[in-house]
Amino acid sequence: MTLVEAAAALRRRAVSSVELTLNCLARIEKWNPELNAFLTVTADVAMEQARKADAELASGMDRGPLHGIPIAHKDLFCTRAIRTTGGSKIFAEYVPEFDATVVERLANAGAVMIGKTNLHEHAYGITSENPHYGAVRNPWDPERSPGGSSGGSAAAVAAGMAVAATGTDTGGSIRVPSSWCGIAGLKPTFGRVSKYGVLPLGYTLDHPGPLAQTVRDTALVFEAMAGYDPKDPSSADRPVPRCLPEEGELSLRGVKIGLPRNFYFDRIDKQVDAAVYFMAYTAEDLGAELRRVQVPDGEQLNALAHLTLLAEAAAVHEPYLRKRRKSYGDDVRTLLDMGRVIPAVDYLQAQRLRKRILGVYLDILKRVDALLVPATPMTAPRIGQKQVEIGGEMEDTRIAATRLLRGFNLLGLPVLSLPAGFSSEGLPIGCQLVGRPWDEPLLLRIGAALEDRVQLRRTPPRFA
Amino acid sequence: MPSPFLPDWKSIAEGQRVELPEVSLQRLEALSRTMLGLRGMLDWGEEPAEVFRVDLPQPEPRS
Repeated sequence: MTLVEAAAALRRRAVSSVELTLNCLARIEKWNPELNAFLTVTADVAMEQARKADAELASGMDRGPLHGIPIAHKDLFCTRAIRTTGGSKIFAEYVPEFDATVVERLANAGAVMIGKTNLHEHAYGITSENPHYGAVRNPWDPERSPGGSSGGSAAAVAAGMAVAATGTDTGGSIRVPSSWCGIAGLKPTFGRVSKYGVLPLGYTLDHPGPLAQTVRDTALVFEAMAGYDPKDPSSADRPVPRCLPEEGELSLRGVKIGLPRNFYFDRIDKQVDAAVYFMAYTAEDLGAELRRVQVPDGEQLNALAHLTLLAEAAAVHEPYLRKRRKSYGDDVRTLLDMGRVIPAVDYLQAQRLRKRILGVYLDILKRVDALLVPATPMTAPRIGQKQVEIGGEMEDTRIAATRLLRGFNLLGLPVLSLPAGFSSEGLPIGCQLVGRPWDEPLLLRIGAALEDRVQLRRTPPRFA
Repeated sequence: MPSPFLPDWKSIAEGQRVELPEVSLQRLEALSRTMLGLRGMLDWGEEPAEVFRVDLPQPEPRS
């Protein structure tokens, strides 16, 4: 059941929050031993919140569409009196005394917290092969990675263990798992969603956001979590518009969608290429105008983003890296060591170049309303697979998975990831819609129009 | 042969008492090559005061 369907069912008393919550808990009990999506299941808290939600709804108090909906939080969001590991050994016993702003906002919107999800260690990686808590598995094929770092959140939603989930995206960590698990995910504009109480990785790159089965579900969770937060200095003091696209066939007449003629379609799997073009022609069929655009060199943008992340993550982790070096997994420790040797001059020049490239993108986004590009150049790799073959060339899995995504973290632009089709192996393919700053509503409208028309399967057959 | 314009990452890492695998050294070299090329894009005429912003608390308005 989608969030929109569950919210409607709750209001006509066809189902209760307690029933929705029990259903998620039963699915967690059945599937989590295999998928390893949850690190902590908060069954008692969830049942208490669900009973309260039912009582409030019965008394006429309605907190909005999330009221009574079971939601999972990536275990990077601080939760009061509930351990928050960051997927790490270092924070294995950390029990915060406060809630992250996102957690607080979703609770105030009536959401039921079903548990905390597994992730790549410290959110620093895209496979969710966690050396301390085990690998998360993809519900579409448990031998494959769900992506990461928000891999547990995506797997939980795809397998129906939660109706929606929170995630964070520093270099693709919402969009990789959304793409590989066949669900929707939104990396909002930088500053739109508060980072307060989210364990950091890249100070200027971290973007909290929602993951859900559908674009409309994503819109509802986004609306509830977004907005100014004085506790986060990078939070933007601007109103959050209504984002939920209306029901019924949506026209895209008047919408101009840009298809980059360089970089984004250059080295991608043929099936990914076909699926994303199918989405483009579907948009055209719905009234959108397709325009070819030239974008700044993606490899250069990626280099700036990677360099920025290496340096910022090393700064974040410096005290722990000195004192608890052996508590890190090999891959994360190596990345942090790489960050320690980045010259300060390179970091500063990267920030200056960042502004220049953002200016070029903003000019492009004056000519088109959104860009449509693939999310990842390939479908989910096997767990442990270090290299992937794309277009006859072997490539490092981690670099391949993030090369179409990472640059948008540097630019802070909003990006919606949504399913675009399936490979011949039955694995999900994702695409991205990239928009102007603060224009999440348009991205969600385009995404919902495409989703309605294309009607892809949302749940893996085993979990239906 | 190492370029005189590029850092010797192995020596830098050793100076920091960091041992990096070959693949990481190659990645750092690729990053520094790209950065070298990108320096041509820097706007040397930009207003320095606009490059970085330091946010300090605003003073209370004087009555």
